[in-house]
Amino acid sequence: MSEHQVDIAPAPPLNEPPEWLRLNGLMVIVSPLKEIVRAAVPLVVVFVAGAHSWWQWLSLVGVGVLIARGVTHWATARYRITDEQVELRSGLFNRKTRAVPRDRIRTVDITSEWQHRLVGLSALKIGTGRQDKGKDDELVLDAITKAEAERLRTLLLTKNTAAAAPEQSAVDSVPAAATELVRVDRRWTWYAPFTLSGIAVVAAAFGAVWHFANDLHIRPDDITLLHDGLDLVGTESPWVLIPAAVIVLLLVATIASVLGYILSYWNFSVTREQSGTLHIRHGLLNTRSVSIEEARLRGVEVKETLPLRMVGGGRATAVVSGLRTGRGDERGGGLLLPAAPVAEAHLVAAKVLREPQDPTTASLTAHPRAALRRRLTRAVVAVLVLALAAWIGYELDLLPFWVWIVFVVLTPFSAWLGHDRYRSLGHTLTHGYLVSRSGSLVRETVALRSDGIIGWRVHASYWQRRSGLVTLVATTAAGRGGYHVTDAGTSQALAFADEAVPDLVAQFLEPAT
Amino acid sequence: MGHGLLVDVSETTGVRLRAPRHRISRKAVPYWTVRALPGWIVLLVGEVLLKVLPDDPPGTWLTVVIVVTAVLALIHLAVMPSWRYRVHRWEVTPTAVYTQSGWIDQEWRVAPLSRIQTVDTERGPWEQLFGLAKVTVTTASAAGPLHIHGLDLDVARGLVDELTAATEASKGDAT
Repeated sequence: MSEHQVDIAPAPPLNEPPEWLRLNGLMVIVSPLKEIVRAAVPLVVVFVAGAHSWWQWLSLVGVGVLIARGVTHWATARYRITDEQVELRSGLFNRKTRAVPRDRIRTVDITSEWQHRLVGLSALKIGTGRQDKGKDDELVLDAITKAEAERLRTLLLTKNTAAAAPEQSAVDSVPAAATELVRVDRRWTWYAPFTLSGIAVVAAAFGAVWHFANDLHIRPDDITLLHDGLDLVGTESPWVLIPAAVIVLLLVATIASVLGYILSYWNFSVTREQSGTLHIRHGLLNTRSVSIEEARLRGVEVKETLPLRMVGGGRATAVVSGLRTGRGDERGGGLLLPAAPVAEAHLVAAKVLREPQDPTTASLTAHPRAALRRRLTRAVVAVLVLALAAWIGYELDLLPFWVWIVFVVLTPFSAWLGHDRYRSLGHTLTHGYLVSRSGSLVRETVALRSDGIIGWRVHASYWQRRSGLVTLVATTAAGRGGYHVTDAGTSQALAFADEAVPDLVAQFLEPAT
Repeated sequence: MGHGLLVDVSETTGVRLRAPRHRISRKAVPYWTVRALPGWIVLLVGEVLLKVLPDDPPGTWLTVVIVVTAVLALIHLAVMPSWRYRVHRWEVTPTAVYTQSGWIDQEWRVAPLSRIQTVDTERGPWEQLFGLAKVTVTTASAAGPLHIHGLDLDVARGLVDELTAATEASKGDAT
């Protein structure tokens, strides 16, 4: 835990001439190591299995190029921090200079992969919160020592808030101990299997193995063990086969998700620092430390997958301006709590927002019955169409008999899912937050600060117009960019939009006839 | 700590969005027709070649597919452009930009002037042919750009100037 109590160096005098600094020399070891591990499978195949095809060798050349690139990057990269901006120059043939104005810095993300940790280094990533710029907007220092990373983190984020709140001098205030908002209990690991992440991992692993076997022209039939296994399986009836396959899949997914949880969320903690930043730290082998400027916080989101909901679990994510949460929240760095008891998720959400109660727990206004009809129709029709297709497939001798039966059997479950999707729908305004909930397999409840809403979209498909429904989207610079209030009554949605952001939509409304 | 009780709401207050004040250019109708044409032609030509070229062409079902494609193309080309023209509208007030677009699926977008970040015009080859322009108004949200299609070039230029002036007048980083 000692690494968490780093002395916070006072900001250096601002008129000192900035000097260009190098990245840490140990990167000459780390970056080749990284590339070799990443390319481990082709390397093993070439040298151990002895499958010398020309493109195997080509991939080796590729690894060499990547290593050379890593070393060149270290040799040529120089960074400095001036009063106004952070600058990074790099490149041998193609010289690049990137500068990020310091008052634009919104997040500082310190990642140490295990190769980094072997030699005590970290990669520091600076984000400026322009959602439209995507990756071009980041500046990465890969890698510097842990102490240097901590120094830069404090320096970059402290100046930022000192400028925003001049009455509180950054030099005078003794950095008080940060307040810990939450720390993951090891026992919560048992919520991991309910997150569905294991299934995704298994699918990805299967895909990778399949792809690689294909590339090497290894057919599953050629492997004796698999061959025998498939022979044995082929003789069994589907009534044994399907449950067995499901059990095996669940078992593997469970193990994968528990391992993943331990690796990713070991020592997960969220702390609030004096400088007005939230500091999220986690990881067992690869550690990650994300600092988010609190002024950029626009709300929270609580997510419950269906299995997680059944055991009373949930996850919490911060909705932060400039942090994208498109593909996996962990990547974006806004995760406030991984799978844990849902009460804990609400607790951390409330603490992060500085509210007595998590707004996502507010009572919600239900959506019209027409929304239920839409959900049930979709759920039932979709399964019945699949069943019909499977039945035609069976008639044409393309599919075995049991497939269409499976779809028919699934119908009640699907209808239940549709009903549950309707029950999830709801929205309200509470203490300046717009709250909206939707979804069944993954139920998401978002609380978005009304002053973070920067526009509205109202969408109505042909069928929605016929049922008097619309989908209202509150657009924001944070998180996913837009948060949906799905299938609300037209009048209901518009009145809601008007109430959430006064004097905006009202001028475009008229009484319905 | 529950998940929130569902409170039922009765729809008594009836409001709806009124249409924005301005229509787009009339030339948008031929523009949309011409722009939709190449896709259908490529599809139909492909299907006909499949019917004509092979020594052993697929049976009657392909003929049915060709006829259905042709009928769909005709309906699409006859209905879509004028339907779109009736729906597409826009308006700028002292506080906000408001657009209405779509045809089968329709969408209304509202952005406060104070949150606008960029105003662009774009003219593709087809648009240049018809003397039209598309105006895109972006905010800091990845989900919120407003597009106004099929504006007369002069109208588009005037709109961009007006919005740029209004945006410069407002302060803050618009997030």
